[in-house]
Amino acid sequence: MLVLSRRVGDSVVIGDDVVITVLEVRGDVIRIGVDAPRSVAVRRQELLAELTENNRAAASPSPAAVDGLADLLQRRQRRDDGPTA
Amino acid sequence: MPDATTPDSGPGAIPVLDMVSPMLGFPEHRRFALARLDEEGTVCDLRSLEDTDLRFVVVPPSLFFDDYTPEVADTVAESLRAESGDDLVALVVVTLGEASGDATANLLAPVLVNPRHRLAAQVVLDDADLPVRAPLLPAGAAAR
Repeated sequence: MLVLSRRVGDSVVIGDDVVITVLEVRGDVIRIGVDAPRSVAVRRQELLAELTENNRAAASPSPAAVDGLADLLQRRQRRDDGPTA
Repeated sequence: MPDATTPDSGPGAIPVLDMVSPMLGFPEHRRFALARLDEEGTVCDLRSLEDTDLRFVVVPPSLFFDDYTPEVADTVAESLRAESGDDLVALVVVTLGEASGDATANLLAPVLVNPRHRLAAQVVLDDADLPVRAPLLPAGAAAR
């Protein structure tokens, strides 16, 4: 990992068009600004970790669980829609 | 109801989707088959063609979440070769709980599909207030 010391107002440039600027340091909270083209997704790492974890939990449910959900939803739909298709 | 464990009946029978951005945590899986698990298409099966043991249950969110209209950046639409939002179909990934009534849906990162070009992507929306685990059904729905 590249480690750089920066002061408030200083920036780091990544590649041609991503600029990260230190905006404010207050205690253990650092506010940073990210200037990047819209094609570059900028996400909080913990958010991606949560979504990854959620996908892992969702992946490959047992056939019985899937059938159970399908049955439940079908019952619900019949109740909501009445006899119409 | 089709048997979810039966392999696809042949090429062309099931739309094969290329993931332009993969399911988060599953970057090596780029091609999926999307199949209905019931006649109404309420519950669908998104199965990896790289490893058919990997699959996700997805549902159309409009059936469960009235006010949910995912908004995506132009760059996302472009990556899916969509000319407008109308070209895209949203599906949400369902996590099945202990009981069927405990199922949750991920509204923050839907799977967007361009059926015409057979492209799909799991997209993280910019609206950070959207839940990752929204109950699919109201509490107690399973008991009724």
